[in-house]
Amino acid sequence: MSEMKSRKVIILLSVYALFFSLLIPGIFNFAFAQSQRASDEQLIARAINGEARGESYEGQVAVGAVILNRVESPDFPNTVAGVIYQPGAFTAVSDGQINVPIDPNSTVVKAARDALNGWDPTGGSLFYWNPATATSKWIWSRQIIKAIGKHNFGK
Amino acid sequence: MGKIRRKLLDWKRRLSDRHMYSVVVLLIAIVAGWGIFQYKRAADLRQELDNQYNRAFYEMIGYVQNVEVLLMKSLVSSTPEMTAETLQQAWHQANLAQTNLGQLPITQDVLANTSKFLSQVGDFSLALDRQNINGEVVNEEQYKNLENLHQYAVSLQDGLNNLQASISGGRIRWNELADKGTQLFQKQSENLNVQMFSDIDQSFQEFPTLIYDGPFSDHMTSMEPKGLTGEDISVEDAQKRLTDFFGADRIVSVEHAGDIQADTLPAYNFKIKFKDRPEDEFATADITKKGGHVIWMLYNRDIGQEALDVEKAKKTGLEFLQSKGYTSMKDTYYIKEDSTATINYAYEQDGVVVYPDLIKVKIALDTGEVVGFESKGFIMSHTKREIPAPGITEESARGKIMKNADIGSVGLAIIPTKFGTEIFCYELKGKLGDKDFIVYINAVTGKEEQVLIIINTPEGILTM
Repeated sequence: MSEMKSRKVIILLSVYALFFSLLIPGIFNFAFAQSQRASDEQLIARAINGEARGESYEGQVAVGAVILNRVESPDFPNTVAGVIYQPGAFTAVSDGQINVPIDPNSTVVKAARDALNGWDPTGGSLFYWNPATATSKWIWSRQIIKAIGKHNFGK
Repeated sequence: MGKIRRKLLDWKRRLSDRHMYSVVVLLIAIVAGWGIFQYKRAADLRQELDNQYNRAFYEMIGYVQNVEVLLMKSLVSSTPEMTAETLQQAWHQANLAQTNLGQLPITQDVLANTSKFLSQVGDFSLALDRQNINGEVVNEEQYKNLENLHQYAVSLQDGLNNLQASISGGRIRWNELADKGTQLFQKQSENLNVQMFSDIDQSFQEFPTLIYDGPFSDHMTSMEPKGLTGEDISVEDAQKRLTDFFGADRIVSVEHAGDIQADTLPAYNFKIKFKDRPEDEFATADITKKGGHVIWMLYNRDIGQEALDVEKAKKTGLEFLQSKGYTSMKDTYYIKEDSTATINYAYEQDGVVVYPDLIKVKIALDTGEVVGFESKGFIMSHTKREIPAPGITEESARGKIMKNADIGSVGLAIIPTKFGTEIFCYELKGKLGDKDFIVYINAVTGKEEQVLIIINTPEGILTM
């Protein structure tokens, strides 16, 4: 009888423990939450990884090109870090995906390098959005220059 | 009803057994404690974030005020020296204001015009500053532009001060800042005379100032493409051109993937598949509708063991360009990454290196295959130029370099400016201590136009 009781207690306690762990926000992100100092190339590569991981190579270089076009543009901050970390600018930054470490041999690093070396598949675009999910009226008022994968690119 | 009551009583009895009752109460207390702890932590983090936004906001107000005062001072000062000093400081403060503007929790579309204003103040001040350093005073039209900029700075400052005063309690909470800040910047946006921006843009064209972001490759502002020769072509013609670009025997298909409606360079986009390569490895390229010029091409394939060195790659690239009709090109800079070499080639006319007419070729160092091509610079700038005879001698140009520097080579070059103009210069390459440098001396006026420091790395030659 006491054997059964103590087993029930253990089960009950473990259920509670599981419940707690789900309450702890971000426990599964803990390993990635440490932000690291990154050079422009690393920063752009991570931003590409967060924003366009599943896109074609052209789509990845395009995201890098948009970041660099913004640095050049008078409408946006003047540094790569300033553009990437501008509040609200990139969802991958707002939700922490930019801190996911990347393999130095991955395509996103190559894409970042090509963008830094001057390749711009977007024709000078400053914005991109997913036409299937974007609801902001303002973003739809942008002039569309090109569609690459699941993003429209425009000014 | 009775059943539930009996069940509850049953539970209560079981709980009072063996202190289960107190255990459950304890567990509930722990969960509650945890909840309070998490809430407090979230509140602390929000406070920290608030503090950052507050800092950015207050710093920005300070810098905008400085910009307004410095613009006023420049309107009042009469000597070129004083005007130059004031404008330099105005540029610095405008930069700092813009940096902090970009840290505010306000959406980009609302901030765009204010950001642009600060950019223009910065660029304009810097350009006028250079002019004044050379002893030339501000002319009437420039003075009028300065006045307009100052006016706007005053109104922006007033708006910011009102915002600051109106927020209750003297401490701005982040959502208040976001809401009221958005209203303020939106109103400022409407007040802004858009005409003023295009006027200032126009006046920029005449300034021979040089601000670089890379080795002569990022100089394009919105201009007419000079090198866009030829007639409009159809999609089929474009396909044929791309097939020839790569070599017909290597290609499986050239698919039309879309169109680019860029106002400067309308183009077709293609996806190119090669024989004997996996499905997911293909090249993409944009080719102009007018004249069928390939703007850029990228082919991301796995690269094997390196078999070529950079010198061989340079030659391969040159041969490739010649075979495509780009004659008289000369390699200028290169970078080696991921077993590829990206080489910059500039057009050479009568022994003068014309940097604005730039093509980049990326060569895979296993087979020497061209896996990247970029010619936007060339398309935008390439024309046959009227190059005058130099106004100063090479000796005179050499004399302008610091005495303790070793000059390696002297040549002639045409370099681009940020604002779409070009300057004809002597290009002097040399070494000071252990640092390599390149100095550009205006071949007509003898003025020192630009100084570049070369960073030689195993990966290539970078310039700063």
